[in-house]
Amino acid sequence: MLLTLAFRNLWRNQRRTLLTLSAMVISAALLILALGVFSGMFRDMLASATEQYYGHLVIAHPEYHLRRDLFAHLPDDIADQLALQREAEITGQSPRLRSFGLLSRPETSQPVELLGIIPELEQQVTSLQHQLTSGHYPSAKEHNGALIGQGLARKMKVKPGDELVFVTQAADGSIGNDLLIVSGIFATGDSRHDNNLVLAPLLWLQQVLVLPERIHEVAMVVADPMTAARIADRLATDLPEGVGILDWGDLLPEMREVIAAYDVSRMIVVAILYMATGLGILNTFFMSVMERTREFGILMAQGMRPWTVRGLVLLETLLLGCIALVIGVFCGAVMTLYMQQVGIDLSGYITPVTYAGGTILPRLHAVFEAGNFLVPAGMLLLISLFAGFLPANRAARLDPVVAVRDL
Amino acid sequence: MIPYRRTIISNTLAAVLLLTLSSPALALDVQSLIREIEQQYMGASSHANTTMQVRTAHWERTLEMEAWSLGRDYFLVRILEPAKERNVATLKRSRQVWNYLPKVDRIIKIPPSMMGGSWMGSHITNDDLVKANHIDEDYDLRLLDETATHYLIECLPKEEAAVVWGKIVYRIRKTPRVPEQVDYYDEELVRVRETHFDDVQQVGERIVPLQLTVLPLEKPDEMTVLRYRDLVYDLPLDETFFSLRNLKQR
Amino acid sequence: MDYLHLAWKNLWRNRRRTIITLTAIALSIMLVQALHNLSSGVYAGMVDSGVRAGSGHIAVYQQNYLESRDESLYFEDRNLINEIEAIDGVKQVLPRLYIPALAQSSRESRGVVLIGVDPHREAQVNPFLKELPEEAMLRSADSRDAVVGSRLLEELQIKPGQKFVVTAQHQDGTLHSELLYVRGVVSSGMKDIDSSLILIGRERAGLLTGSLSSVHELAVVLSDPGYETPVHRIIATMLATRPDIEAVSWQRAMPNLANAIKLDYASQKFIFLIILLIVTIGVINTLLMSVMERMREFGVILALGSKPMTLRRMIMLEALSLGLLAAAIGSLLGCLATWYLVSVGIYLAALVPETLEFGGVVFDPIMRASWNPGWMLQIALYVVGLTLLAALYPAIKAGRITPVKGMRHY
Repeated sequence: MLLTLAFRNLWRNQRRTLLTLSAMVISAALLILALGVFSGMFRDMLASATEQYYGHLVIAHPEYHLRRDLFAHLPDDIADQLALQREAEITGQSPRLRSFGLLSRPETSQPVELLGIIPELEQQVTSLQHQLTSGHYPSAKEHNGALIGQGLARKMKVKPGDELVFVTQAADGSIGNDLLIVSGIFATGDSRHDNNLVLAPLLWLQQVLVLPERIHEVAMVVADPMTAARIADRLATDLPEGVGILDWGDLLPEMREVIAAYDVSRMIVVAILYMATGLGILNTFFMSVMERTREFGILMAQGMRPWTVRGLVLLETLLLGCIALVIGVFCGAVMTLYMQQVGIDLSGYITPVTYAGGTILPRLHAVFEAGNFLVPAGMLLLISLFAGFLPANRAARLDPVVAVRDL
Repeated sequence: MIPYRRTIISNTLAAVLLLTLSSPALALDVQSLIREIEQQYMGASSHANTTMQVRTAHWERTLEMEAWSLGRDYFLVRILEPAKERNVATLKRSRQVWNYLPKVDRIIKIPPSMMGGSWMGSHITNDDLVKANHIDEDYDLRLLDETATHYLIECLPKEEAAVVWGKIVYRIRKTPRVPEQVDYYDEELVRVRETHFDDVQQVGERIVPLQLTVLPLEKPDEMTVLRYRDLVYDLPLDETFFSLRNLKQR
Repeated sequence: MDYLHLAWKNLWRNRRRTIITLTAIALSIMLVQALHNLSSGVYAGMVDSGVRAGSGHIAVYQQNYLESRDESLYFEDRNLINEIEAIDGVKQVLPRLYIPALAQSSRESRGVVLIGVDPHREAQVNPFLKELPEEAMLRSADSRDAVVGSRLLEELQIKPGQKFVVTAQHQDGTLHSELLYVRGVVSSGMKDIDSSLILIGRERAGLLTGSLSSVHELAVVLSDPGYETPVHRIIATMLATRPDIEAVSWQRAMPNLANAIKLDYASQKFIFLIILLIVTIGVINTLLMSVMERMREFGVILALGSKPMTLRRMIMLEALSLGLLAAAIGSLLGCLATWYLVSVGIYLAALVPETLEFGGVVFDPIMRASWNPGWMLQIALYVVGLTLLAALYPAIKAGRITPVKGMRHY
């Protein structure tokens, strides 16, 4: 009964309702957009750190990442042994073998890090295929095709099609060496990779290192990077002796710190946004209740209890809040969608940025995250309630006689 | 390696000469005497077939190699066995080192950053090859102890010498005059490495140990053993033999 | 003129509404100003650390050095350092030589890049050396002292005071070695730095490569960033006689840092835009409401002979008063907040361990703001402008009222 009254009250003064509604909707939608863009930047930071090279999770010998010891290897079917394909949350796996050695041309030799990979699998985990400046990603057919960083290519003066020799210490003590042909050149903007990293076929490297059917690590990606730590903890309990799992936070502690600091500034800005929105809503509700003082006076004069009046006001605000929520979320979603698909491209005046082990692409875009919708929605309801509370109280405390006389 | 060992011998002889002559005036003569001896060995060339056995924590292997040397500054080593590594070769000319890799048919110059790497997987580093011959330049020698059968010679790095060791100690047998053991100490005088010399034989006019063992003391299971066979001195070799072309030759 | 007075009075007729609106606008201004000043302070700090440890505000290199960092691209000093030092605004000129080499101890060896520096100049300016006491700093350009990163020290298995040997390629193609002693240790908290940094005297470095008076880089650090343009011009003129070398700005020498800042700033601008939009929506709403509830009153005024234009003007004036007042209060609060952030700052260390990396340089654990009165005024004016803009629609609405309709309004 009260509900119907509340509802009708809202529609009675359409102008006022629409006004308040539009303010709330627009504020909510903009808030959702802002949060989406924040998440987008956040996700970009994380993605760049992990998806260029590390992945979100890595399975390897427990201390492998400390010294990258050649002899801390695992069987190359370890992923199958652990039945990782059954893990729904893991969306890509790449077995890798790593070697440090010399890349040589007639005039110059450079120390490099060489990663033996399976192209189809590696491309599920890392994104170098999107950062090629020339040539192509080595295909499965090219038994000795290599992908090298741009800085390295420049120093050694090579282009796709040129030959390189890789020399290293093999696992049996001999000098491992073989030819590589440059398939493609990548540029990430991160000099540590561009000047140092070479990708080559896993099988090729296994032969050079005399480590048949061995790998050093399995790099994996998951749907949501923020869940990586949790997944790692869960998987860690089932791992056999001599096998460990790390998440990107373990591999890139500096990135973790950057994200912590970023979160702080994000929270501050979000607080500002909520506050601005909240005050706006508070204002309009106050006004709308004040406007109807006379009306409330009449209602109470006719016998409506003060707490009923309060309830009525609260209900109205809640209803309004819900409607605003639905429409606002919808609009917010539409705008976020635009920013996600299209975004704002800044590459005209910014090149990729490297920090804390990752590289960021120069663009503003948004991502969809449940939290960016649920929290504003919740806040909206809460603020509506709060915004309605004070005026509602005020209305309930009115002296009907005084109120009726109000004009 | 060959030059390495020979310089130890030349140092030893120099040290021994210093010991037997005590007066300062004569000591001065000793200096020029040492130089003369150095000159002798500078000109000497050698050729040998060698076997190198290396054991590490992860693998063990044995190489058959052929080696040539000239004085301290030149040598060429080629692998004969195992078949997989046949014709892999190393050339050293004074302070530069190259490797030839037959599988890819390329010559690789070893850059400074790789000089710390092991040579052919052994406990001898590329750097050892380059620097081994300058012990008399970089260290001050003095007699530490003397028994009826042995001399113990202590080598302390000179003030500005670019060497990593804190101390090197030679144990030298009096008769025949050959080194038996060399100990390498770090700056805190903790023993880090030992080399042993065994199987002393007469080769032509010289008496030399034919087996060299390197022991990294902090990895007790590991070692490198080098054995010389068919060692011959004073061949008609000159610098031109030690060329990049010969490095590649099969 | 009475309209302003009237407008002011009208504002205060509904005190609560005006105060709430004022608060919203003022707080938004304060927060936007404070946040902007905070981040500009942080950026300035980052740039400052970055130029001191890196390329300086302006750097002199051989042509093409930046693209490949090829160690063969060095150049002779020829009194350039002294000439540049004499320029007004230049705080310090740091000559640097970068040499790839092998570092060896009795147990381990590592490939490294030696940085040959002028110890006296570098100590004054380089943030990595800030923490080092006198006994830990390089004594002279030709001494055998080395300042080494803590992780590198561990990997080489040596301790401070102990020796190690570096070997590098000499100009003549052969390898040369030098004896060095660990004089000081740098523990910056950044893995990259701690596992690769070796600073030695540049003359000692020169002995290794046979290039005694050569440098790869002259990093020019200014006493104030404002000098960058004039000093750059002067240096460019100086270098006219030497076409093989060039002067570049730090943005080109350290693009990571420049772009990290630009990116952050771009996203910040976007967010500020959204904040201001939300505030504007609130203001439109408020003004509209206030117009709506005075319909009757307006009807009466019009019936009594006022022109619609008068009404519109009044609404605009109300908005203007509101805007100006909010801007004033907001800016005042913004100044207070900035003052706090400049003198006290935000202590990040509670959240993150010692130092933080962003754009490749050391992040001060205390975030400090910097004063930007020009920008703050700009924002205040924008808000006043927005308020006026927000008042347009309500004002138009007010002007369209017919006396009859208005008086019938409730």
